[in-house]
Amino acid sequence: MNRHTSFKVFSLLFGAVYMGLFWLNEFYGIAFLRYYPVLGGFYNVRQPPETAGPAILWYFWLFGALAVSLAASLVVPRKWAERIPHNLVWLVSAALFLAIFVYERRWFY
Amino acid sequence: MIQILTILHALLAVALLGALTHQAFSVTRRGSAHGHSFVDRYRGVNSPTFTNVIVLLFIATSIGGGLLYPRYRIDVRSTLEDLQLRSANGVFEIKEHFAALGLGLLPAYWLFWRPPLAAEFAAARKYVTWMLAFVVWWNFLVGEVLNNIKGLYP
Repeated sequence: MNRHTSFKVFSLLFGAVYMGLFWLNEFYGIAFLRYYPVLGGFYNVRQPPETAGPAILWYFWLFGALAVSLAASLVVPRKWAERIPHNLVWLVSAALFLAIFVYERRWFY
Repeated sequence: MIQILTILHALLAVALLGALTHQAFSVTRRGSAHGHSFVDRYRGVNSPTFTNVIVLLFIATSIGGGLLYPRYRIDVRSTLEDLQLRSANGVFEIKEHFAALGLGLLPAYWLFWRPPLAAEFAAARKYVTWMLAFVVWWNFLVGEVLNNIKGLYP
């Protein structure tokens, strides 16, 4: 079991980093990578919407969260990972689910 | 091609929905799991055997969704905007966030369901499973509604 305690670190961080990257774009317009389906490619700078069409940022948020949480889960010492309460994983996720509902309620007015 | 991918995505989602719902019911177990009612039998499954399949199905379904997303962004979302169906866009936004959070939960979910089931993980196992089940139900229903939205809003 000890061998896999880093999985808790990964799960704990992934959602938080994903939402952090999402809100970074929402509040400051910052995204390091955008996918333009009309152009069929990834770009690290914003393209003109008239020619490039809409951008997809979901891939960036996902891969950004994957990279950060994977790196952290490999770096965090096993002893530290073992000390993380098991219930913290679902509690943090539950808080993020709630935050999503609160933030995205803007679509329903 | 896109139609085949959409159907495949839906079929994977149905399989995931079935497996995860069984498991979500099994962790609510109260009293005997070997009763004779339908609910008792439904939740009396050997849940840990579902875990690897659920992880694989979740990842495969998410990859399918990721492949369909560009077409959605160009065709469907613009249609929703034209029809001024803001709430439909909103439920999809929530769907994409839920899929991401669900993907992130998978390693912990797998750890908590590793046999032999550790008693110390019991609460975390239950709540993580319920959260994943909620994600899958939400995403399935939203996906189905959006897929058929032109028929639902004539």
